[in-house]
This record gives sequence, structure tokens and C-alpha cells, in this order.
Amino acid sequence: MFSSPHHDVAAYALGVLDEEDHEAFQRHLMTCEECQIELRELCEVPGFLDGLRRDRSNSMDDGRMSH
Amino acid sequence: MPVRRQLGSRFESTDTDVVLVEDLHREFGAPLLRHVRKAIGNDLQWAEDVVQETLVRAWRNAGRLQREPGLLWAWLLTVARRIVIDGRRRRGTRPQEVEPADANAVPVPDGADRALEAMIVAEALRELSPEHREVIEQTYLRDRTINEAAEILGIPPGTVKSRLYYGIRALRKVLKERGVAS
Repeated sequence: MFSSPHHDVAAYALGVLDEEDHEAFQRHLMTCEECQIELRELCEVPGFLDGLRRDRSNSMDDGRMSH
Repeated sequence: MPVRRQLGSRFESTDTDVVLVEDLHREFGAPLLRHVRKAIGNDLQWAEDVVQETLVRAWRNAGRLQREPGLLWAWLLTVARRIVIDGRRRRGTRPQEVEPADANAVPVPDGADRALEAMIVAEALRELSPEHREVIEQTYLRDRTINEAAEILGIPPGTVKSRLYYGIRALRKVLKERGVAS
């Protein structure tokens, strides 16, 4: 599967791009209005996952939470 | 103000630069600290350091950053998150091993709301396709980069990126439907 440079916006928002890709996407972002709009839309989503992560740290695992 | 001290000692700064960092601090400091604390828990000192480092980086990139508040906020959040992940990786801590609460730490408010929100998010995550859920878990939730997750999953990094892209968009959609995300 091919990945468009625009797809990097999600990984960028999550802060999980490897260094080289992070720098490259940051340069792309400054010139790509489409990615700027998407970053604004996606930037709050990792914050919701943070809540889940702390929840997990309190030993509430997936098994117990399903059903 | 700590930011001013750091600028003074580490960089050649003009009065205008200091004003810019102070402007950023005034406008974004408090909400940024709230977001960072949500990511790292009770270590208030670390959270404040992350905010400070984020604002200094914003100052150093000021020429490239457009003064458009929405984008600037998104950029600050992203940079702060990256600093947290880098710090966590350096310390060798994993999210499952969050430090115990510090007696001197200011408690994170809205504990009950947080727990409810976490349940909604966990449920939303389960509604995603297994492929989408998997890349979110193997990257962000485990502090792994794209390349590290690709190796573990045995799929190309480009595939991890695009699954993450569609997965995060799908997650946002579900969270919006549940009235959690805007």
C-alpha cells in the first residue's frame, strides 16, 4: 500500500513519526493548506487517547472492559 | 518568568523575541499545561518543563509559523506531545508504568469526568476495524514510532501511516458522534 505525504498528518499529530519524516512533514505542513486544516481537526484526538492510557495504567485492561 | 530566564541564558534574544514568548505563554500556557498534564499525569515539574520547551521551540520557529491561532495551537499541541514521548522514551518508562502520585503534586481535576471519557474512548476504539485499532495501539499507546511499529507488525511503514491516518479519522468521527470530540 502506498502512503501519500498527506497521510503523515495523523502520525505527526500523534508525535510518532521518526525524526527524518517528522522534519520532512513539518516542512510540508508549512506549505500545504489541506494538511493544516487536517492537523487542526486531528490535533485534539491524541488527548482523548491519553485518558485511555492513564486508565490502562490503573490496570483496567481490555478484557475486563469488553462486554 | 522561567521562559525569559531560559531565553536569556541559552539564546541571543531581543526584546521582541521575549515579548513573543511571553505572548505565547499568556495565550497558550495554561491550556497547554492542562493538555500536557493529561498526557503525563502527576509530574507537575516535568509538565511545566514540557510547556516551557514547547514555547521556546515555537519562538525559534516563529518565522515559519503563521500567526493563525488555530494552526498555532495545533502545532503547539503536537510539539508538546513529541517532547513528552521523547522524554518518556529517554527515561525508559512505558505508559503502563506511570509514576506513582507525588504527594506535592496538584491533583488533576475532574477525575470522574476523565474516567467517563476514558470509557467512551475505549468503546470508540473497539468500534474501529482491527487493523486501525492495532496501529493506534502499537504506535501512540506504546510510545513507538512508525518504523518501530512497522517492524513489530511486519508491515511497511507506509501502511502503518495510512492505517493510522484512516484510523484516527474514524476515531474522531465516532468521538464526535458520541459528543466527546468537537
